[in-house]
Amino acid sequence: MPLTHHVDIPPDRVTGDEIERTMYARDLAYVPACMVTPFFETLPDAVIRPGTAEQVANVLRQAVREGMPVTPRAGASTSYYNVVPVRGGWVLDVNDLRGGIDVDTTRQTVQVLPATTWHELDDALQQKGFAVKSYPSSAVSATVGGWVCMQGQGIGSLRFGGVGAQLTGLEVVLPDGRGDVRMLTRDSDPPLEWFVAAEGTLGVITGVELTVRPYPAAESHHLFALNDLDSLGRSIASLSRAEPRPFTVFFADSGYLRLLARAGFETPYVLPHAPFPVSEQGLLMVSFQGARSEVIRGKDVLHRIDGYELPSDLALDEWNLRLYHLRIKRAGPSLLAAEVWLPIAELSRYLGSVKTLAERTRLLIGTYGFAIAPDMALVMSLYPTDERHTIKYLAALGFTARLHNLAARCGGRPYGVGLWNTAYLSRLFSRKDLAELRRRKARLDPSGIMNPGKLYRPPFLLRPLMFRPGAALLGAAHPALGREWS
Amino acid sequence: MRDRVFFRGLAAEATICSYCGYCRSVCPTYEDVGWESCSPRGRIHLIRMLLEGTSLTADHMTRLYQCTLCGHCSQVCSTYIDLRQFWLDARTQTVTRDLAPPGLAATRDHILATGNIYGYQNDERAGWVEYMDDPPDNFYQRDRASIVYFVGCLSSFSPSVQRIAESLVRVLDAAGLDFTILGDGEVCCGYPLLAAGMQDEAQQLIAKNLASVRASRATTIVFNCPACRVMWLDEYAPHLPDVRLLHATELLAELTAARRLPLKADHRIVTYHDPCDLGRNGGVFDAPREVLKAIPGLSLVEVHERRERGLCCGGGGDLEMTDAALCEHVATRTMRKLAATGAGTVVTACPQCVRMLTRGGTQITQDVTVQDILELVAELLDI
Repeated sequence: MPLTHHVDIPPDRVTGDEIERTMYARDLAYVPACMVTPFFETLPDAVIRPGTAEQVANVLRQAVREGMPVTPRAGASTSYYNVVPVRGGWVLDVNDLRGGIDVDTTRQTVQVLPATTWHELDDALQQKGFAVKSYPSSAVSATVGGWVCMQGQGIGSLRFGGVGAQLTGLEVVLPDGRGDVRMLTRDSDPPLEWFVAAEGTLGVITGVELTVRPYPAAESHHLFALNDLDSLGRSIASLSRAEPRPFTVFFADSGYLRLLARAGFETPYVLPHAPFPVSEQGLLMVSFQGARSEVIRGKDVLHRIDGYELPSDLALDEWNLRLYHLRIKRAGPSLLAAEVWLPIAELSRYLGSVKTLAERTRLLIGTYGFAIAPDMALVMSLYPTDERHTIKYLAALGFTARLHNLAARCGGRPYGVGLWNTAYLSRLFSRKDLAELRRRKARLDPSGIMNPGKLYRPPFLLRPLMFRPGAALLGAAHPALGREWS
Repeated sequence: MRDRVFFRGLAAEATICSYCGYCRSVCPTYEDVGWESCSPRGRIHLIRMLLEGTSLTADHMTRLYQCTLCGHCSQVCSTYIDLRQFWLDARTQTVTRDLAPPGLAATRDHILATGNIYGYQNDERAGWVEYMDDPPDNFYQRDRASIVYFVGCLSSFSPSVQRIAESLVRVLDAAGLDFTILGDGEVCCGYPLLAAGMQDEAQQLIAKNLASVRASRATTIVFNCPACRVMWLDEYAPHLPDVRLLHATELLAELTAARRLPLKADHRIVTYHDPCDLGRNGGVFDAPREVLKAIPGLSLVEVHERRERGLCCGGGGDLEMTDAALCEHVATRTMRKLAATGAGTVVTACPQCVRMLTRGGTQITQDVTVQDILELVAELLDI
């Protein structure tokens, strides 16, 4: 097919090579071809790498003229096909829109290109005496623009809010045919909030402005072993409302520690002098960052933790590994997960339900997460499998729905939508909210070319009548088929 | 260096790869090429396709060789894959399937025919000694010595870096050490073949070098080339259980600490570039810095990207043989960052880094010179 010969972009920034295009037909999650090929067109017709916002605009203008689907992609570190095309078309690899870091020290804001990773941004800010306010636990590869698209919540969100709270400006190109590069604020029309969690379905982000904070003068990290899940839940609830507010509160259950051990990593939490087997129930890490006085005062709230404090070197190790939770994938070789928002008040109940499910099915399931607000946690439950065994892997995929169902009973809902979580749209949005999202989509993307097939409507395969019995059937088979990985 | 990385074989690790892209954000060649297939996770995907039977061409597999084996991907891998080993095994698979870049076969042929990467007569290997002002009568070649200086192909034959070899023998002489070079008893260490994916072919080179070293009865082998040292640590060390394998900077650090190398003052401002094979892949970060600190008056300004996060010169992993232009782009970007420190001299500890960074330096506006640490120390010997 004619690739992009009408697009005003240097030819070396466009490819139609089949092997190259294949690279853009997946994200973190492996999904067997039998679940993809018959239903979705994940292989893009071309991949385009714009080097400037103007080139993005040129591509979108042409795409609107041709009615060509466009899927923007940067770090591709999500796992719901958020950046994988499902109707072919063009993948817009925006990774060259990187850097351009410009700090306004008076306003304490930074302008940055969207494909800059959080790690790069924080590193550059540190050299100028500043720091980002919150960042994803995948900060080494997750990009600033990508996290905006995903309503980013993670490390530091408990203290400073998610990425949405930090945004002061967004530069975007809209798929409205005009192809203007627009600067959005909270007061503009459309407001920048529309692009938070829009997952690349409304336009392409080409610049971001965020508030930043002075580089913290001090920090302290504290690691606790908890003897039961109720203590864990109570402690997290109390810490998340404490003043001074911790920068982050991380927690992991005993299943996570077993997964770590299975993955080949030492879990140094079985200590001879501890009052109970530390690895039996769970871990809690509390970190404070800020002015020295704030960090010192922070230690006063540690008495609220109903657990045993582990040595400070272990706490520092855990902090230094905060971006490396994926290391437990070595327990697989594959790993599947359900990532959910969960009310902190229901955390103990959810962890208890997962533990019961693991015991009943004799499967290894690990859970970890972060408190991201006084009343909300972001929780990931994971279990090992092996994608090289297709039938067993399909059953394992179905089992994810059981974890989502447990979370739903505790007031939880999936984090991120993309393609695969459209199966849970009714849990994610009220009818009114969904109608509003669809109205925005119709207004800003009248041709429907931006990342089509995501977020707003489930495809046939993922409609409740198809998905629920299918997932239940497969998920029921997983305990028998997947026990070898537990 | 990470204390632990894992490697269970290509197929297993290609499945374990989480596709997180941590590697992508630190890869020096991906930063230039920009296509996903040139990111480390893209290359892993390519290998997975190859192992699963996808029909791939030599053109596609070129991506595997657009890699300097700098090891930064392994340093940040979220699933702790020993990616250096992964790339070496992947290249072996590529060679086995006859999909390697064609130029590498010619390189293999002349290394095996002559014993060096340049294809020169190997009996000219110690020719650099003859051009020294006052070489000793034995031309630094003795039947037995406690230290063998393994010069390596670059410092032996490349005129642009032969002065590094001259510098090291002057320093060893000044310290009164009992050392020898191997002359034509030394052949290529085999690293270029290992990096090409031709591990089996490297074995005959290894055997010849081992025989020469054993004949010398040396208890220490010293290298100025970090790649040679890594090769010896990985492939030769099991055969030499009682022999110390040191980079020259490690030996110099010992000598300066023991005050056995009197050095004149130097008031320059320098920055230090960590060679990938010495630092990230070789675990030596402190020794060169200790040597620089021992020079009176010298100011060391560190570049932000240093030690485990050190920059790549672009010259590793046979990239110069397969894509010289990409090599130069990486070198230029690195020189730009090093020059931004404000230092007038970039000091490093690797002949290939000296070559590449000097080349990269011609593409930037700042006037910065590149010097191997051995040259610097030899210049400042106060004897």
